Amino acid sequence: MKDKSFLIVFLFLGSIIVLFLMVPIMNLFYSVGVNNIFETLQDKETYESIFLTLKSSFFAVLFVCFTGIPLAYLIARYNFWGKSILESLLDIPVMVPHTAAGIALLISFNHGYIGDFLSFIGLEFIDTTIGIISAMMFLSAPFLINGAKEGFKKVDIKYEHVAQTLGASKLSVFLSISLPNAKNDILNGALMMWSRGLGEFGAVVIIAYHPMVAPVLIYDKFNNFGLKFSAPVAASMILVSICLFLSIRYINNKV
Amino acid sequence: MLKIKNLFLKKDNFILGKISFEIEKNSYCVILGKTGSGKTMLLESIAGIQNPEGNLYFDGKDISNISPNKRDFGFVYQDFALFPNMSVEKNIKFSARYKKIEDEKNLFLDLIEFLQIKDILKRDIKYLSGGEKQRVAIARAIYSRPKLLLLDEPLSAVDPTFRNSIMKSLKEIVQRYNTTIIHVTHNFREASYLADKIAVMLDGQILQIGDAKDVLNSPSSIEVAKFLGFKNIFSTKILGFEQKNKFFSIDPNKIDFLKEKCLDDYCFECKIEKIMGITDHYKIFATVKDTQSFFAKIPKQIFMELKLNEGDKSYIFINKKDVVFI
Repeated sequence: MKDKSFLIVFLFLGSIIVLFLMVPIMNLFYSVGVNNIFETLQDKETYESIFLTLKSSFFAVLFVCFTGIPLAYLIARYNFWGKSILESLLDIPVMVPHTAAGIALLISFNHGYIGDFLSFIGLEFIDTTIGIISAMMFLSAPFLINGAKEGFKKVDIKYEHVAQTLGASKLSVFLSISLPNAKNDILNGALMMWSRGLGEFGAVVIIAYHPMVAPVLIYDKFNNFGLKFSAPVAASMILVSICLFLSIRYINNKV
Repeated sequence: MLKIKNLFLKKDNFILGKISFEIEKNSYCVILGKTGSGKTMLLESIAGIQNPEGNLYFDGKDISNISPNKRDFGFVYQDFALFPNMSVEKNIKFSARYKKIEDEKNLFLDLIEFLQIKDILKRDIKYLSGGEKQRVAIARAIYSRPKLLLLDEPLSAVDPTFRNSIMKSLKEIVQRYNTTIIHVTHNFREASYLADKIAVMLDGQILQIGDAKDVLNSPSSIEVAKFLGFKNIFSTKILGFEQKNKFFSIDPNKIDFLKEKCLDDYCFECKIEKIMGITDHYKIFATVKDTQSFFAKIPKQIFMELKLNEGDKSYIFINKKDVVFI
């Protein structure tokens, strides 16, 4: 009996937050309507914007996979001077206001020596896809780095030691033992980073209003045409994201 | 074959060393020590996983700075450390990805037959029992054709009913696969059954190393004697020797009690302090000269004949041949 009341209380409390999270989304879908969502998805401006958002966030994740995962491994496996400071610095992007991050990126990559150098090698940040990717990456990279770090920490270091005694070099050990065994945490981190990137508005709008990513397009439609025109784009973006997320999780569970 | 010279390693508050010893080719060496005495750290240092000071020579070649993947030493951890992302077969054949394995096919067939793992090759490692994991881990290490096989408490996670058969297999590995084994354990039974050579390790130091029988029967210090379970350790002064810092031990089963003093061998007057009856024998605690407390085990029948009571005066009799000098 006591167990039952415990469960009822917890279920009640849990359902409050589930409702809070689900009601706005369900309401959005309901008010827009399925037909309207599919019509919006066929609109060139909308699907190009959604595709740009998905693509930019994906490239941001890809870049951090090649740079942040090795960093996460170093942090998880080695003790070095300034490690705690580095870990704190990596969390800063999560804490700062996103518009402030956009300003910081603008100052860093569009002015001064760094800006000149990047411009010299052909990397322009203002109103370009590169700018969008960098804004997304700046604010969401910690999700992947921290996820990978926790994943590597969970991999028993003895697996790596044994693999070395069996003839594997450090790089081979990383590729054949550490990475596959930390796969789930890395994938979760990558999904978190990607999803965070999809929703990025503050920093992106400062770096690149055009080409319009979905959050900017929703804001633009809302500002210029009102709720009636922005809601279908918002619902379309959410629907596409949900479908992609469910597919990736399903594939990951199957593999 | 393996020569360790002044090996020293400091990790946090633990110090290993300075350790020096040698192990002959195709021998079975057991490092016997309590938990936390640095046995695993020593094995990892030999494997190259840790970076100690000092020198390691293998077949006359200095291997101190050679990385673990180039040493050709196999390692089996206490919890076996099987790779969770691979099946049993892939675990065993892992080393073939990185080096040429001589007579690979026959070795694999022989290993799965010898270690009885033929039926579990396709199984996911999370569905293996402790004994199966252990055999797979040993197979994986041997498959890499190691010149030296390092076993870290390999029997501790195995069901006691299978230990005897596994110990038999371990003993056979040296000749069958032409390798040398260093096995660390805290278990005397394992050590006495398996070892050609035993090293006793306490607090990061090797206190005694030598032929297995010599170490188990003749400890070189009180610490080793206590660790090996020797009882009744006293100064040799009781026996009439003049040397300081010399000790002896007597097995509780080798102590007799007499009603009257005897002049042969060693005989001391004692007072019976405590008697504890156990199913088939009695434990007797007796003090000599009010200070030295002897512990003896007397079979029930003999105890009945002696008719000893707590507080009685009696005589402890020790045969000279049973005394172990430390």
